[in-house]
Amino acid sequence: MSPFTIVALTAALLLIFSGLYLLLKTHNMLRIIIAIEIVMKAITLLLVFAGLMNGKMALTQAFIITVILVEVVVAVVAAGVAINLYRHNGDMEISRLNKLNG
Amino acid sequence: MPDQFSMLVYSFLGLPLAALVLFNLFGKRVMTKFYMPVGMGICLVQMLSAIVSLVLLSQYNKDAITFSQFWNYQLYEGASYFSPDTFSFLSLLCIGLVGLVTFLVAYPVLPDRRFQFCNVTLVLLLGMNGIALVYDLFSLYVFMEVTALSAFVLIALYRDAKGLEGSFKYLMMSAIASAFILTGLALIFLNTGSLQYDVVQAYLANWQNGPNPVLTQIGFIMLMSGFSIKAGVAPFHGWLPDAYQSAPAPVSIILGGIVTKMAGVYAIIRLVGEWLPGSSVVNVAFMFLGLLSIVLGAMSAIGSTDFKRVLAFSSISQIGYIVLGISSGSPLGFVGAVFHFFNHSVFKSTLFVNSAAVEMQTKTTLIDKLGGLHKQMPVTGTSNILAFLSTAGIPPLAGFWSKLLIIIAVWQAHGGVVAGVALFASIFTAVYFLMVQRKVFFGPCREEWKDVQEAKFSIRLASVLLSCITVGVGCVFPWILRFLGAQGWI
Repeated sequence: MSPFTIVALTAALLLIFSGLYLLLKTHNMLRIIIAIEIVMKAITLLLVFAGLMNGKMALTQAFIITVILVEVVVAVVAAGVAINLYRHNGDMEISRLNKLNG
Repeated sequence: MPDQFSMLVYSFLGLPLAALVLFNLFGKRVMTKFYMPVGMGICLVQMLSAIVSLVLLSQYNKDAITFSQFWNYQLYEGASYFSPDTFSFLSLLCIGLVGLVTFLVAYPVLPDRRFQFCNVTLVLLLGMNGIALVYDLFSLYVFMEVTALSAFVLIALYRDAKGLEGSFKYLMMSAIASAFILTGLALIFLNTGSLQYDVVQAYLANWQNGPNPVLTQIGFIMLMSGFSIKAGVAPFHGWLPDAYQSAPAPVSIILGGIVTKMAGVYAIIRLVGEWLPGSSVVNVAFMFLGLLSIVLGAMSAIGSTDFKRVLAFSSISQIGYIVLGISSGSPLGFVGAVFHFFNHSVFKSTLFVNSAAVEMQTKTTLIDKLGGLHKQMPVTGTSNILAFLSTAGIPPLAGFWSKLLIIIAVWQAHGGVVAGVALFASIFTAVYFLMVQRKVFFGPCREEWKDVQEAKFSIRLASVLLSCITVGVGCVFPWILRFLGAQGWI
């Protein structure tokens, strides 16, 4: 493993964990969606380096394009749910999501 | 194998796709009238093709049917294709059955949203069929996302505050799970250069001697945590009761019956049960996850006051049994887990159908408000108690046999204490279910429920059909076991 790939993989993993940290830390739905997007971008980076290391670039390209497509659809559905919750609650606070119990 | 029969497998993805195109081509006004025959027809054809394929596989002694839908996979290196085996066809049968029941129940329960419901449910069926058919981990991930996305939309079908809340919680946990799964896939792909099942299986059998064993280890752990979140196994189960409770009644049936199992448990059975049966570390880890799910699910179910929430916690508990069976690592435990997979989708659908009937007739699912409904709703009450007894594992119902197999396998693999805990938790299952049954259906009838009618015909048909399957499979199970023994699987 060359030093370049080690640094790159560490960067991708750090980006994943920073996204997960933002996910745990924030209380705003929009920021949660942004955090998920950051994590998915980091994983795209990780897939690029995985392809770089094993030399299967064609397969990796197909994977990455599919991941981008999936993540856009997830973001759209998440934003739709968040907008509808905003209409019900009046703000984007996740601590208001406490109606389900019993 | 004759070619005309192997064409059947194309229907699993082709039919829902064709129906989806037709639905949106002709528009809402025309297709709302045809939604029942189309949806039920697709599910019936799927069940039939799954049964015929199962018979053909055993008749011609083949392991799997390999095909691809619209492309020639032999031309390109690394192209993905489908290769369903016996377990895939069994899960396709479950999908068809639960889908049929869902369409039956949705007809009277969702009169104003039939078109939207049917559209999204077809995507859901497509995604679950894809999960059962694919032969590489990346396509598995893509179909998992298709399934999960349509499930989010279905939970928030009425855009009410509760549904949106359940949908948002499920969405967040599922997005984190996807991130874990994709990270794991990238780290495994880095070493293998392909994500086809046989390549990954051969690599995982000897990963210590491969390149980058540390990265492989991290990747495998992340993959397993992702699948566990999607399955709702105990430390990761927070979203599951909320999602089940807040969903509209027919959506709860398909979610509890099959979606979480296809999205998470299926992959766990494939990876741990089929590929790593001898790995003691993985087996012990999943043994603890399974035990924790069983006990925590049963305890939480005792404390719940909502009918659908009790069923959701019971789902966690039963998924714990499936994971425990897988963790034994023996063929007996694998067969027990697969049969519990089938049985759970049958009896949990029955219970959710009955909760849908109660919810439709009384407009509430709170246990304390209900009482004495058995006289007014005899069919629902009887099928409910059959399903409860099957869940608790009372002979001769179907749930008894699969739990018996799992507990024997666990006793052989992990010793008497673990098997004893599993058995004891099974008694807890009986306790909370009998409590619910007594409060909702038995006892004196309350004033406000004097005029409650029996559920509509299609709901009754669904619960009678599922109860017949529970009793029938339980009665013929010794012969199934004998057949499996003759095939050399146990």
